Amino acid sequence: MASESPPNLLELDRIEAGYGHAALVLRGLTITVPRSTIVCLVGPNGAGKSTVLKVASGMLHPRGGTVRLDGHDVTRHGPQQRLRAGLAHVLQGHSVFPEMTVGENVRLGAYTVPDRATVATRVQFVQHLFPVVSEQWDVLAGLLSGGQQKQVEFARSLMIDPKVVLLDEPSMGLDPKATATVFEQIERMRDTGTAVLLVEQNARRALQTADIGCVLDLGRVHMSGPAPELLDDPELSQLYLGGHVAG
Amino acid sequence: MSGGLFLQSLILGVLLGGLYALMAAGLTLYFGVMRVVMIAHAAFLVLAGYLAWFFTTRTGLDPILSLAVTVPAFFVLGVGIRRLLITRLKPATMTMMSVLLTFALALVIEGLLGFTFTGVQRRIRTGYSSANFEIFGAQVAVVKLIAFVLAVVALGSLWFVLKKTSLGQALRATIQHREAAELVGIDTDKVAGYGFGIGLATAAVGGTALALDATIYPSLHWHWIGPMMAIIVVGGLGSIPGAAMAAMALGIIHAFLQVPLGATWAQTVFYVALFGTLMVRPQGFFGGRLAQRF
Ligand SMILES: Nc1ncnc2c1ncn2[C@@H]1O[C@H](COP(=O)(O)OP(=O)(O)OP(=O)(O)O)[C@@H](O)[C@H]1O
Ligand SMILES: [Mg+2]
Repeated sequence: MASESPPNLLELDRIEAGYGHAALVLRGLTITVPRSTIVCLVGPNGAGKSTVLKVASGMLHPRGGTVRLDGHDVTRHGPQQRLRAGLAHVLQGHSVFPEMTVGENVRLGAYTVPDRATVATRVQFVQHLFPVVSEQWDVLAGLLSGGQQKQVEFARSLMIDPKVVLLDEPSMGLDPKATATVFEQIERMRDTGTAVLLVEQNARRALQTADIGCVLDLGRVHMSGPAPELLDDPELSQLYLGGHVAG
Repeated sequence: MSGGLFLQSLILGVLLGGLYALMAAGLTLYFGVMRVVMIAHAAFLVLAGYLAWFFTTRTGLDPILSLAVTVPAFFVLGVGIRRLLITRLKPATMTMMSVLLTFALALVIEGLLGFTFTGVQRRIRTGYSSANFEIFGAQVAVVKLIAFVLAVVALGSLWFVLKKTSLGQALRATIQHREAAELVGIDTDKVAGYGFGIGLATAAVGGTALALDATIYPSLHWHWIGPMMAIIVVGGLGSIPGAAMAAMALGIIHAFLQVPLGATWAQTVFYVALFGTLMVRPQGFFGGRLAQRF
């Protein structure tokens, strides 16, 4: 059976990228994220994981290589165009609009969605998903705790009903319950056809959820494969997952 | 101080405070969207004042009507200045270099005003220029009240735009977290341009309001830039409500000090407040959270 749309929702092909005149951070990196798949990117601090996501979302233009979204070359497109094509990016650290209410933050997630009824439905959806969003709806986002802010950011990114989601350390600062909600959401998105590119410091936890794992080192994918296999790889375990495999 | 004088000073202070708040609003916008310190803002205020004066002497119409031309013109000018000049500065040194750039801009405007209108002091004359009205026994100049009303209307409109329109949401989002704004689909470059334009448009209203009640001359802007900078630092850089509250507070103190100290010495209240703020609470008194990030 021939499918109309290409299997890979997001493709980064031989990407070379860096900041200003400094040395390249990514040197010929290739990653593909198929439909209904969670790809987890691990690597040491400063390896360039966040940079990969910035290139994917259009915040950083690569010096070489191609970015494809749902089969279309979007290398020259900016973040707005990629967002309209269904790509959402949740930044590392905190990125709520601190002097706006939680409600305003979440609604801004639908800035590019013109239909009011659609926005209203999605607001109800994320409120249901993250109780903190509905409980703190009229509170200034900057006054929430770090973990609560992260949930608001995640809710905001879901407002476009994304096809591809880039998550940069989404569980950072979250309590176990909120972490579980976020991971549940990631799995739910995968199950409804979304492609997820996940960067996690908690690599072991992330690889347990992910389908494919990629290890980033020296600006390239150093190793990649099915996530369970990476979890069992002794060398990887030693270098990046901190400690030995249990058993 | 007698009860009558007290009331007179208070009313005068509130009226002045409103005008100061409008004059400083633009500065907080430039800083908010671009991290630009706009030294030329006061020069644009004076320019708007001259245009109002010119309009009235030529047409005989009310100076306030000149706003129909100057407000849109200043908006476009603001968008243009940002696009052609400000965006050429490197982001890393934006704040510092913008001081130099806009200082030069202020000199250019001052020079052009002197060249076009000469250095002679000008004053707008209207039917109500010397009229007074009485409120609770205090005598207040009608032009001061009109300037205050203009300021309230302009600030009210600004509040409405920022809080209730989609452009305003986009503008505030851009000010508060530029990357996140970009990632929800806001064209932050365009929005920053509009922010600059709106900032300069407030200068058109502020300058016209100022010129209703003041003698204008090309170098007048040097007199105003200091107090305005003091207001936005005391209020907390980038915070419009903060600037408005600081303007009101300093306006009232200024009005009260004018009685015992005279106009020149009363002006020092701005510098005292500026130094005091920098020593005690450098992030400003009202803008707290946002200002702390710079
Ligand atoms: N805005 C920037 N300007 C200049 N250099 C940058 C910038 N952001 C990142 N870098 C550099 O790029 C390299 C990769 O950074 P990146 O943020 O992608 O790493 P990371 O893998 O996400 O690290 P972490 O695990 O700490 O989040 C680092 O050497 C960093 O110094
Ligand atoms: Mg990172």
